[in-house]
Amino acid sequence: MMLFEWKKIFERRLNVVAMILGYLLIAVCVFVWISQARFYSAETDSYLEGIEAIHADQEWAKGQADIISEEYVSQVIREIQSHGMDLESDDAYVEIIRPLGDFFYFLAGSYTDMSEKYINRNVLMEIDLTDGAHFYERRMGKITDYLNMDFSYGNYKEAEKDFWIQKAENTVTPFIWGNKCIMDMVLSSIAIGFYLLFVIVICTSTVFSSEYESGASSLLLTTRYGKDRLIWFKIVVSVLFTAGYLSFGILSAVGVISLLFGFSGVNLPIQLWNSVIPYNLTIGQMCMGFFALILLIGITITLIQLFFSSKLRSSLATMAVGAAIIIAPAFFPMSKKSGLWNHINVLFPVRAANLKEMLGSFVSYTVGDCVISYVTMTMIVYTVIGIVALLFIKKGFVKE
Amino acid sequence: MELILDRVTKQYKNKIAVDRLSAALREGVYGLLGANGAGKTTLMRMICGIAEISSGEICYDGEEIGVMGGRYRDLLGYLPQDFGYYPNFTAMEFMLYIASLKGLDRRFARKKSKLLLQEVGLECEMRHKIKTFSGGMRQRLGIAQALLNDPKILVLDEPTSGLDPKERVRFRRMIADLGKDRIIILSTHIVSDVEEIADWIFLMKQGQFIAQGTLENLREHYLEVTHVKEAEPFNLEKLYLFYFEEGEEKHDAV
Repeated sequence: MMLFEWKKIFERRLNVVAMILGYLLIAVCVFVWISQARFYSAETDSYLEGIEAIHADQEWAKGQADIISEEYVSQVIREIQSHGMDLESDDAYVEIIRPLGDFFYFLAGSYTDMSEKYINRNVLMEIDLTDGAHFYERRMGKITDYLNMDFSYGNYKEAEKDFWIQKAENTVTPFIWGNKCIMDMVLSSIAIGFYLLFVIVICTSTVFSSEYESGASSLLLTTRYGKDRLIWFKIVVSVLFTAGYLSFGILSAVGVISLLFGFSGVNLPIQLWNSVIPYNLTIGQMCMGFFALILLIGITITLIQLFFSSKLRSSLATMAVGAAIIIAPAFFPMSKKSGLWNHINVLFPVRAANLKEMLGSFVSYTVGDCVISYVTMTMIVYTVIGIVALLFIKKGFVKE
Repeated sequence: MELILDRVTKQYKNKIAVDRLSAALREGVYGLLGANGAGKTTLMRMICGIAEISSGEICYDGEEIGVMGGRYRDLLGYLPQDFGYYPNFTAMEFMLYIASLKGLDRRFARKKSKLLLQEVGLECEMRHKIKTFSGGMRQRLGIAQALLNDPKILVLDEPTSGLDPKERVRFRRMIADLGKDRIIILSTHIVSDVEEIADWIFLMKQGQFIAQGTLENLREHYLEVTHVKEAEPFNLEKLYLFYFEEGEEKHDAV
C-alpha cells in the first residue's frame, strides 16, 4: 500500500518538476557561494577567487591567534589605534581592515552597542586600553544594557534578564578564533531548506485532496483499511518524503562543500558570528540543531498541508494555504506596541529559518515563572502544531 | 445474510435527499431506478458507510454497520459513479492497490486480479496505464476491483454506463451469476438493465420508494395506477415513464 502512495507522489508531473527545481536552486546557490568567494592576497596584492580564495582564506586563518584572549584583543586594538585613522576611510580599509579580515569586523561588532543597526568601525578607536580591552566584560555589559533598555512594545521581565545573563555567563570563554567561512556555507545550505518547503507544499497538497478531486475517495473509504491504515500510510509517506527530500538536498550541498574544503570551523563557538549570542554552542552543534529545526518545520508544514488537503478537498486551495504560511509572514511588520505580536511573529517559518539572527536577538517567552528561550519555544510550537494537525487529518478525510 | 434499512434518512441543511427508507435485503439483485436527484447515489453511499446517516439505521445481520466498521467494509464491494482512477497506474497496479486496501494477501491478490481482469476482458491490457483506457474499459476495471474481495454486498452505481451493448450483455450475465449468493444493489438509468437482471426493483423519487417489487409486482402496480387493460403488453419503461415523464405532479405519491 505504501509503495503505491510513493508512486502517487513521484508520478505527478508538477511534483517532479518542483523537486528538480528545488535541487537546482541548491546547486546554483552552492555554485554561486563558491564562485563568488574572494580573498585578498597580500603577497601578490591581488584578489583570489572561487575555490582558490576559500583555500587561501583557510590557510591565512591558521596564522591568526587560536584564542581570543584579553591580551590578544588589546594588542590588536592597540595596533589599530596606533594608525590614528578614520576607520570608515578607504585608506583604513586597505591598511587595517583588509589585513585583519573577519577578525576586524568581529572586534568592531563586539564593541558596537546592540541598539545600533550597523557595525560602528570607529568604536575601536574610542576604547581606553590603559587597563586592557575588557573584551568579555564589555560583552556582558552590552547584554545587560540591552536587557535593561526601554522598548516601546514592552521591557524584559526580571526573570528574563536573569535567564539571559546567566545563559550568557555560561558560555565558554575565551572564545576560540578560526576560519568559519566553510561553516557559513554549510549554514546557508541548511537555510536553503526553507525554500525547499515550497516543494514540500506542492507535493503534499494533493495527498488527500486529489482523492476527492478524482472521486477515488468514495472507493477508498469503502475498503477495509480506507478509513484508518490508508490515512496513516499517507501521513507516514508524506512525512518520510519531506524528511527525505529536505535531508537529501541539504546534505548533498553540505557534502559537496565538505568534499571540496573539509569541515574546518565545526568546533568554533557560535559567538564568532555575534559575540553577544548567549547560547553555549559550537557552530557544528548549531548547524545540526538548525538542520533539525528545518526538518521539524518541514514536517509540521507537511502535517498542516495534509490537514488542509483532507479538509479543503482542493489541491490548489491547499497549495495556496501552504504557500501563504511560508511566505506571507515575511511581510508581517514587527510592532512598536505589541510585544505579544512580535513574539508570535518571530515564530513563523520565515523568521525561524533565519536562526543565526534570532540567536542573538534575546527573544524569550515567560510562562508563569518559567522562561523559555526562542529556540526551545520554536521546537515546542512546531511540535504542538504538528501533533494537533495530525489529530485532525483523519477526521477531515473520513467525514463526507 | 440480511441487510436492513430502517427509516434511513439523509438531510442536507434544508433538503431531504433520502426520506425514511425501509427495506430488508437478502441474497439477490436489487435494482434502484429513478431520475437524477432521486436519492439513489446518496442511498448507496449510506449503505457503503461513506455518507453519514441523518436518522434511522442500516444493519447487517442485526448489527449496525457503523459499529461493524472495518468488518462491514470487508464484506463490501463498491463501484462508485464516475470514480477516479489513477491515470499513471497500470490496470494491474490499480487492482493490487485496491487489493492491499482491502487487506488481501499479495500473492492471492495478484492471482485474483488476473482472474477478474480476464473476466471483464482486460487481460491483454493489464500492463497498460489506465490513462490509455476508454470509458468502457475503465468501467470494466471498476467492476473488477469491486469484486476483488469476493464481497457479500456489492453496490454498483451506474455500472453499465460507458459499456457497449456486447459488454453490457456480458455484465448482465456476470451479475446474474453473482447475485445467487450475495446482495447486489445496482442503480441505473437504463431501464432494460434493471428489468433483465434485478430480482427486486425499487423506484425512487424525491428520496422515497414510490414503488417496489418484482417485475410481476410492478406490472400489477402499473395496471392498478394507470387503469389500463391487462391485455396490453407491459414493460418497466412504461411504469418509469408514468412516474418520471408523464405529469410528475399528478403521480408524485402512490
